[in-house]
Amino acid sequence: MASQTISQTSKAQDVLVSTDWVAQHLNDPNVRVVEVDVDTQAYAEGHIPGAGGWAWDTQLCDTVRRDIIPKEKLEQLLSSSGISNNTTIVLYGDNNNWFAAWAFWQLKLYGHQDVRLMNGGRKKWIAEGRELVKDPAPSRPATYRASNPDLALRAFLPEVTTAVQQHAAQLVDVRSPQEFSGELLAPPGLPETCQRGGHIPGAKSIPWGKACNDDGTFKNPEELKTLYGGQGITGEKPVIAYCRIGERSSHTWFVLKYLLGYSNVKNYDGSWTEWGNLVGAPIEKP
Amino acid sequence: MPKPEDYSERSATLAGWPVQIVTYRLEGTYYTTVQNTDPGAWVVKAQGPTKQDVEQQAVKEAEALLAKIKSKKPPTGCTSVPGF
Repeated sequence: MASQTISQTSKAQDVLVSTDWVAQHLNDPNVRVVEVDVDTQAYAEGHIPGAGGWAWDTQLCDTVRRDIIPKEKLEQLLSSSGISNNTTIVLYGDNNNWFAAWAFWQLKLYGHQDVRLMNGGRKKWIAEGRELVKDPAPSRPATYRASNPDLALRAFLPEVTTAVQQHAAQLVDVRSPQEFSGELLAPPGLPETCQRGGHIPGAKSIPWGKACNDDGTFKNPEELKTLYGGQGITGEKPVIAYCRIGERSSHTWFVLKYLLGYSNVKNYDGSWTEWGNLVGAPIEKP
Repeated sequence: MPKPEDYSERSATLAGWPVQIVTYRLEGTYYTTVQNTDPGAWVVKAQGPTKQDVEQQAVKEAEALLAKIKSKKPPTGCTSVPGF
C-alpha cells in the first residue's frame, strides 16, 4: 500500500485519472475533457486535443452577484459543451488543478455523477511532452439537466459562524502561512480583496499545496492521512475548508472528501474575502 | 499534432519571494510562466522565439510586480486586531 499511487487507490479510482488514461480516451465519445485554469489565456496557447475550455471568472460563476454558477447557466454551459448527464467529465488545469477542482466541486454540487480530475493537471501533461492543440475543440450540443444544488457540500457564513462559536465543525485554512498569519492579504501577484488579515478563530493551517507532489500529482493516501490527521483533521467531525475565494479550498475539499473519504466536508467559498471583510467578525492573528 | 518540448522548471527568489519559473517550447514559440511557489498563483508569463529572452522578460516583469507586494508582520498573541 505504501508504494501505491493515489490514482490506484479504491477511493480515488472514480474521481482521479492519470495523464495516460486521458491520452487513451481522447476519442472516447463518452468522455469530455475540459480545461479550467487560473490563467484564462492558457487554453488558447495549447490544450489537450479535443478538450473544451471554461473560464472560471465568466463561465463558472454568477457574473452579476457573487455566487457560484446558477443552475440554468450551468445547464447551458454543459449542453453547449456537448455534455449530457451520462458523460464522463475529466477536468484539468494549471496550478495543480486549482480551478479544475473548483469546477469539480460545482459539478458535484449540481449532481453530476461522473466527474474526475486529471492527476497532475496541465503542468504534468506539458512536462510529459504530450500533444497540444491551439484551436478550440468543436462540440455537438447536448442536453443537460442539473439537479438542485446539494448544500451538504457548501458552507455559508452562518454555518461557519456556528462552527466558530460552538465548535460544531473543524475549520481548515488552506491559504499560505503568510495569509494565515495576516502578513499578507492575498497571494503575491493577486489582488488584495479583504480589509483585514488573519484567520478564522480555531482554524488549522494546512496549505493546499502540501497535498501535492512536485509534479503536481496528489500525494499518496498515507501521506495525506498523516498531513491532515497530524492537525487533528481525521474525518470524525464535520470539516469546513476555506481559502481566499474558494478555489484552493475546493482542492482541499476534493482531497478530504474523495481521496481520504471523509463523509462530511464542505467548501466555504465565501472564504476569507467574505470573513475578512465582515464588520465585527472575530479574527485570530497569527 | 505538436508536442511541447524543452520543458524546464526551476526555483528562484525574486524581490524576496520564492518563485517557480516554468518554460516550454511549442511550435517554435517559447512560453514562460513565473509563479510564486506558495500558494502557486500565476504571476507573470511571456512568450517569444528564444528561451533566454522570454525568461528574462518574464522574470523582469515578475520582479517588478512582486517588489510592490506589501507584507507586514502581524502583532502576536491577540485577536481581532485592526488591520494595516
